[in-house]
Amino acid sequence: MAAANWRTINIDLYDPDSSANFPIASLLPSSIPTTSASEVQSLAGQIKQLLRGGDTEGALRGALENVPYGGDSAAKEVHLATVVEILQSTKQSDMSPMLSRIYSSEGGTELLDVLMKYLYRGMSHSSQPSASTRAQSPQPTGFSQIHSRGGGEGGGQTMSVLLSWHEKLVEIAGAGCIVRVMTDRRTV
Amino acid sequence: MPAPEVHHLFHHPIADHSFSADRQTLAVARDNNVELYGKSGSNFSLQDELKGHDKTVTGVDIAPETGRIVTYRNAYVWEPSPTGWKPTLVLLRINRAATFVRWSPSERKFAVGSGARVIAICYFEEENDWWVSKHLKKPIRSTITTVAWHPNSVLLAAGSTDSHARVFSSFIKGVDARPEASVWGERLPFNTVCGEYLNNSAGWVHGCAFSPSGNALAFTAHDSSVTIVYPSGPDQDPKAVVSISTQLLPFLSLVWNGEDEIIAAGYDCEAYRLQGNERGWQIVGSMESKGRPGMGAAREESALNMFRQMDLKGKAKDDTQLKTVHQNTIATIRIYDEAGGAIRKFSTSGVDGRVAIWST
Repeated sequence: MAAANWRTINIDLYDPDSSANFPIASLLPSSIPTTSASEVQSLAGQIKQLLRGGDTEGALRGALENVPYGGDSAAKEVHLATVVEILQSTKQSDMSPMLSRIYSSEGGTELLDVLMKYLYRGMSHSSQPSASTRAQSPQPTGFSQIHSRGGGEGGGQTMSVLLSWHEKLVEIAGAGCIVRVMTDRRTV
Repeated sequence: MPAPEVHHLFHHPIADHSFSADRQTLAVARDNNVELYGKSGSNFSLQDELKGHDKTVTGVDIAPETGRIVTYRNAYVWEPSPTGWKPTLVLLRINRAATFVRWSPSERKFAVGSGARVIAICYFEEENDWWVSKHLKKPIRSTITTVAWHPNSVLLAAGSTDSHARVFSSFIKGVDARPEASVWGERLPFNTVCGEYLNNSAGWVHGCAFSPSGNALAFTAHDSSVTIVYPSGPDQDPKAVVSISTQLLPFLSLVWNGEDEIIAAGYDCEAYRLQGNERGWQIVGSMESKGRPGMGAAREESALNMFRQMDLKGKAKDDTQLKTVHQNTIATIRIYDEAGGAIRKFSTSGVDGRVAIWST
């Protein structure tokens, strides 16, 4: 016993009242269906179809309405790629009108909150230098959903697209949208 | 709408404020003390200080008729006596800070929310001449940030940092009369959980309130939303849960004005009016009347002055002043004057040390 390094013992594990033992799952709504990567893949196919047909708004709506909250990281990765693709293929001048249309429609605030989640997720993605370790990267949004990916050269361009979407989105959905992304436990 | 009455008391945050029944005395929580301000003419001046707390005072509430309480770890009930305010210690039996305190409408009990994941319901025991507390524990998983009483003095709503707003029964035999059956339940022994609500984006709860009839509950959370719950009966799903996501920063506190209007305020430094019913709610607008005299009335500046400002501060206009009455977050909003559930005046206090009285 004397050899035990008591300074490194995590005492929170032994205290049932400790905040470290807080059940995070209790913050999630009870019904989140699980989604598999293949379902997300087929959805991505449909959305790309819409995109090729020139219906950017429909594609964006479709992507934001079917979020794989219950999916594993692979499924979420696929969906992120889909959303970023839609965002990149939207003309700068179309952004604001499209966002205002979505905002004023039924359940629109919710959709824009989801879009904001993907913007932050996309930023944490593409700003990630390929060789860096996770611990060093700053996470301004407090999300623990950073994965390293070779985002080297294309990263800057994606980032500028995301930033201009972010600007337009805050104009319409306000600061409340950002606050909701920070509190929401349903991560994308 | 007449301009609000603004009292700038000091340059310190006000954690909580409360007016006495005759509105002549204002109590504010400032650091470790509670300061009592008396009304003289149109101003409030410092009259008395309630000392004795050795930690920050986080809540203060004046019961319309009797004493008052203030909290940290141990609460005091202060009662007026000929020689000044006399404190009585209340043992809360909590091992974390108390965060919020409110008298029940019957004034025979008060509820103290705390960081120890309990709500202490305190009442006076005649036999022992002593305030005692009873704990509401289950199923609270985190700090209680706010409590609100139902008009029947038995049901208590509590908001917590575990993002749930809950409705409890705090029925204490011998103190409370048996409550009439309501939408929240019929038989209500102590610690009955009558409702537990979480909204989708799961922000921690900042403020909650029952509607004047007690048949609806509104709570505001850190996800910039206000959620209004209409229960349908015991052990049934509520008949409507309306959640509004706002474009604003989160609200910290709210009050009902009748059954179909809510006034809420928070980090945006101004109060907003919300209206609606079971079918839906929306933000109607700010309570702030834009273009008040003295604000935003840009004085004619000389060129010399402009360049001097540019030189000194790097900008021509001093824009450190907000356009709102409160210059910082509003922490508490309370009813000041009401008739039959409809508010005529309400008061706000905040981090900027101001207390403002507004007409609706």
